[in-house]
Amino acid sequence: MAKIIGGIGTSHAPSIAHAYDKNLGQDEAWKPLFDGYGPVKDWLKEAAPDLIVMIYNDHMNRFFFDAYPTLALGVGEVHEIADEGWGKRNFPALKGDAEFSWHLARSLVADEFDPTICQEITIDHGILSILPLLCDTPWPAPIVPIAVNVIQHPVPTARRCYKLGQAIRHAVELYDRDLRVAIVGTGGMSHQLHGKRFGFMNEEWDNEFLDALETNPEKLTVLSHDDYMERGGAESVEMIMWLTMRGALTDKVNRIHRHYYAPYLTGFGLIALGCTDITDPST
Amino acid sequence: MSRYLVESGGNRNLPDTFVFTGERSRKGYRLNKFAMSLTNPDNRDAFRANEGAYMDRHHLSEAEKAMVTARDWDALIRYGGNVYIMVKVAGTLGVTLLQMGAQMRGQSLEEFMATRPGAAARPRKE
Repeated sequence: MAKIIGGIGTSHAPSIAHAYDKNLGQDEAWKPLFDGYGPVKDWLKEAAPDLIVMIYNDHMNRFFFDAYPTLALGVGEVHEIADEGWGKRNFPALKGDAEFSWHLARSLVADEFDPTICQEITIDHGILSILPLLCDTPWPAPIVPIAVNVIQHPVPTARRCYKLGQAIRHAVELYDRDLRVAIVGTGGMSHQLHGKRFGFMNEEWDNEFLDALETNPEKLTVLSHDDYMERGGAESVEMIMWLTMRGALTDKVNRIHRHYYAPYLTGFGLIALGCTDITDPST
Repeated sequence: MSRYLVESGGNRNLPDTFVFTGERSRKGYRLNKFAMSLTNPDNRDAFRANEGAYMDRHHLSEAEKAMVTARDWDALIRYGGNVYIMVKVAGTLGVTLLQMGAQMRGQSLEEFMATRPGAAARPRKE
């Protein structure tokens, strides 16, 4: 039987991709961010999951508003890299796991989550900006991407995202191969990218969110989108995707690492949480 | 307030915030579709070669074209342009997100960057 070993919540941002591609990891302004990922990268390497489920949002690189899915699941064996408007980044395509993904699709629909099933899903910075900070290439495990609409309102509620995580956990536990699965939720934290409030960040709220995510996530599921946008800026509503990651873990978790740094436009948060029903993450 | 209104974003009139609602997406559809086309490198070349002709091919209105020509990011987003798609227009034209943001705040890039915590970490180059 497959099991979830733990999860990671992380911001994503084009600026992280830019800093990586320009080799700014040792630059004074970026070093704290890149160093912050070190312990999580080490944990992931040690834990060596067989598969990683990643919850993220597409920034109109695979999907457009002609038909924008509220929930989309990539079921292919390969996920290509997107051209976001300035050329594809120089990374190998992600490997998928069609067999697991179709199982996940069946289980989610049985549990009343109905994703758009995508045999082709090009991947943008929602995943690719932080993936090279979490692991080296060649990518160590197949990745199963789940894209959530957090851009065009109405977007799913925080509670719905949390329940999606619970449904993913259920699906993993129903899978008959002995896979060890990690789950990653990306997005946020506080940021607003338009209007006079451009550049808004809220370090206090971001850390309150990280506290509650670990010990009392239910508290975060009752907040409305306007609550999130008021506290963290309009574009920070994507923090609800961290709740999907958290919903897939055990009620109590072991914190492996936590980091926060807010240099320019976005509160960059990072947290890694191990499931308490996993005694040794590497077995 | 009904659960319906509480749980669909954009009802609280947050200051200086233009939530990307269905209403805005509907109004900005043509504009966003034009900008989405710039994920293709050939289209980026065509747009840079002749902005007006490229926008005409995408049936943009005179008002929409004028906002793009003026690089008026604030107006484009208020109108219904989605910021994640407008950055594709900006990127094609060599404008960064930081420059867009400074303009939307009514500041120069230098003024805006001085407000950023990370600016303190970056040694000033004379």
